[in-house]
Amino acid sequence: MASPYTARVYQALLTRKYLTTKVMPLLASLGVALCTAMVLITWSVMGGFLRMLTESGRSLIGDVRIVWPNTGFPHYDDLIARLEADPEVEAATPLIETFGIITLPDGRTEGVAVRGVDGPGFARVTSFAETLWWKPMAEPLRKDRGAEDPRLDGRDMWRRLYENGLTLTRPDPETGEPKAAMVLGIEVTDFNRRTRSGFYIPMVIPQQTAEGGLTHADVFMPLQGELTLRVVPLDSRGRPRDVQTRVLPVANEFESGLYDIDRQTVLVRFDALQSMLQMNEGLRLAEDGPDDPFAPEEREDRYEVDPARTTAVLVRGRTADRDLAGFKARVERIYAEFAAGHAGEVPTPSVIVIQTWEDANRTMIAAVKKETALVLFIFSFISMTAVFLVLAIFWAMISEKTRDIGVLRALGAGSWGIAWVWLRYGAAIGLVGSVAGGLLAWVIVTNINDIHDWMGTSLGLYVWDPAIYVFKEIPRRIEPDKAAFVLAGGVLSCLLGALIPALRAAFMNPIRALRFE
Amino acid sequence: MSTVTRHAAIPTAPEARPPAGVALLSVRDLHKTYRLGRVEVPVLRGATIEVREGEWVAVLGASGSGKSTLLHLMGGLDRPDSVAGERHPIRFDGRPLSEMSAGELDRYRAESVGFVFQFYHLLPELNVLENVLLGAMVLHGRFGYSRRRGALRARATDLLASFGLSHRLSHRPAEISGGERQRVAIARALMNEPRLLLADEPTGNLDRETGRRILDAIAGVRGGPARTIVMVTHDPEVAARADRIVHLEDGRVVAGSI
Repeated sequence: MASPYTARVYQALLTRKYLTTKVMPLLASLGVALCTAMVLITWSVMGGFLRMLTESGRSLIGDVRIVWPNTGFPHYDDLIARLEADPEVEAATPLIETFGIITLPDGRTEGVAVRGVDGPGFARVTSFAETLWWKPMAEPLRKDRGAEDPRLDGRDMWRRLYENGLTLTRPDPETGEPKAAMVLGIEVTDFNRRTRSGFYIPMVIPQQTAEGGLTHADVFMPLQGELTLRVVPLDSRGRPRDVQTRVLPVANEFESGLYDIDRQTVLVRFDALQSMLQMNEGLRLAEDGPDDPFAPEEREDRYEVDPARTTAVLVRGRTADRDLAGFKARVERIYAEFAAGHAGEVPTPSVIVIQTWEDANRTMIAAVKKETALVLFIFSFISMTAVFLVLAIFWAMISEKTRDIGVLRALGAGSWGIAWVWLRYGAAIGLVGSVAGGLLAWVIVTNINDIHDWMGTSLGLYVWDPAIYVFKEIPRRIEPDKAAFVLAGGVLSCLLGALIPALRAAFMNPIRALRFE
Repeated sequence: MSTVTRHAAIPTAPEARPPAGVALLSVRDLHKTYRLGRVEVPVLRGATIEVREGEWVAVLGASGSGKSTLLHLMGGLDRPDSVAGERHPIRFDGRPLSEMSAGELDRYRAESVGFVFQFYHLLPELNVLENVLLGAMVLHGRFGYSRRRGALRARATDLLASFGLSHRLSHRPAEISGGERQRVAIARALMNEPRLLLADEPTGNLDRETGRRILDAIAGVRGGPARTIVMVTHDPEVAARADRIVHLEDGRVVAGSI
C-alpha cells in the first residue's frame, strides 16, 4: 500500500488546473502580490534609511573609540603606537570632544559640539574625507539633472578647499602660511541652502553693522569666513578654568548625513583645540586637592609638567566589519597593557569607556530600528488581509467544489489528500503572488527615485524632499535575505488562509458532498 | 400486500435467487440512520444482500428507499450504524469493511471499487482523458504513477476508445453530450480494474436510447475484471438488464428477492 503521505499526481494536476482556469485565485494572487510588494518596499526603503543612518553615524567615529571625557587622558601617543602596532588595527587617531560657543558673522551665537581632530589621521580612521562637502566633483548628484551643483564648474578652488578641509588649515591671506582652521557641519551656519537636487548653494550672509543695522556680505565661509570659538578648559580634576576665545577661519564644511551632527558639530585642528583647552603639554600649577574654602590664602605654589591629553582615541580595524565585538575586545586588551604601563596616570581598564561605533549610536539606531519595526508590523498586520482573502476565496471555492471533493473521495482520495490539494493550492497562490509581488517590489524599489521624481514633477508630490531630508536619494536596494523572508511570509500567509478551508474539505462527509447541489 | 406478490410481475428478472458460488460482497442486517436536525431518519433497517463474484445485481426501489445509501456503504464511503447483532454488516471478499481503517477504506475504494453516478460527476476543469486517469492518479503515488504513466495513458485511451470516445480525449465535460459523459464516467470507474462496479442510477439522467447504450456499455464491462456489478435504479426496465433484481423497500430488502 502506498503511503498516505506520498504525493499524488492528482493534487498537482488539480492545483495547476484550478490555478489556470479560475479568476478568483488570480485575484487572491494579486492581493498577495500587492501585500508582499508593500511589505518588501517598506522594509527595503526603511531598512535602507536605517543602513544609511548607521553608516552616517559611523562616518565620524571609526570602528571603536576609547573615551575618557572632559579631562582626557595623557600618553595617548603611546596608546596610538601600541594600537597601530597590532596587525588587526589599521589606524588610530586622537580626538578631543568638548562643548563650545561660536559666534557667526551675522552676530548669532550657537552652542556646538567641538571636536579637535588631526585631519590626515582622522581621515584614515573615519570617512572624514568623504564627508567634506566643498570639493571638486566630476559627476553631478543623481538628482541634479541640470548639473547645477556649483562644485561642477571645474575651478581649482574646490581642490584647494578640499585640501584645506583635510588638514583643517586655511592659508593666511597676507602671508600664505597655513593657519589652524575649522571645518563646520554643513548646517551649522544656515548660510547654505539645500536644494531639491540634494546639493548646497552658499547664500549671502547677513551681517550686523556697527550702527545695529543689517547689511549683506557676499562671503563664502570656506573662502573668507571666520568664526569666534569659545571653549572652557578644565583642569585635570574637571574644574573649569577661564574661557578661551579664538577667532578661527573656516576651511571647509562636512556633511555626515546625520542632521544633528551636521547642525551642531564643528571640527577644529587638534593642536589648536588642545591648546585652547590647555590639554597640551605644559608647565602648570599642580592641583593638590579639592577646592577648600577654608584653606589659608597663602600657600606655596607648585608647578609640574602636565603631559598632553586627549579625550578620545578613535580606532579603525582591519577585521572590524566582520567581527566588531572581537575587534573591540582586542582594543580592550591593548588598552589594558597600556594602562598597566602608565599605572596611576591613565584611567584603569575598569573605568575607561571603550565603545564600538554601534554602542556610540545605540540610542539613535535603536530608535530608528524601532520605527522600522513598527512600520513593518503595521504593514504586516495590514497584509494579514491576504490571509483572510485567501480564506474567503477558498471557502467559496470549496463550496463550489463540494461535489468534486465527494468524487475524489469516491475514487479513493483520503481526507489528508484532499486537505493537501487545497493547502498545495494555497501555497501555489502564495508562491505566484509572492514572486509577482517580489518582482513588483524589485521594479519599484530599483526605480523608486525615478518614480519619486516623476511624482514630484507631474504631481508636485515630494515625499522625500532632499531639501528637507539629509538623504540625497531614497535607498533602492532589496536585500536578498529580506526578500526571501517576505516571500516565504507570503506563501505562509496563503497556507494559513487555506488551512481552515482545507480542513473543511478534508473532513467533509463524502456522501453529503456527492449529493451537494 | 405481499412484497413477493408485488414484485412478481417484474418483466425479465433473469434470476430471483443468487447463483451458487463465493459471495464477493456480503451485506447482513445493515442499518443506517441519518440525523436531520433533531430528527433521526432511519434509511436502512436491516438490509441483507449477497453479491457473488461475476454477478450483476440490480437494486430496485422507490425514491427514498435507501438504494444510494446502500451503495455508498458498500463502497466504504460511509460507515454503518453499530447495532446489536451483526458486528460486521458488510464484508468484501470475506473481509469486514468495519475493520478497515480510514486509509484502508480509501485504498479499498481506489483499488477494488468503481463508482458510476447518475449525474456523471466529472471534474469540469479536467478533460476527458484526465478525468479517466484521475482514479489512477489517486491510486498511485507520484513515482508509481510516473513509472506507469505510459501504460496508464494507454489503458485510459483504450477504455475511451472501447466506449467510442477516441475523438473526445481532450474535450472538457461541458463540451460533450450527457451519454458521452456517462461513458467517460464508466471508463473512469473501470480505470483501476476494480472487482466491484457500483452504479447509482446510471441512466437516470439520460433519454431512453442513450440509457440503453449505457446499459450496453455496462453489460460489456462484464467481460473484464470488473465483472461484479451492483446497480441501483428505480426503473424496472433498467433493472431487468441485470442478472438478478433485489427489491429495497423502507430500508429493507424485500423477502424473497435476495
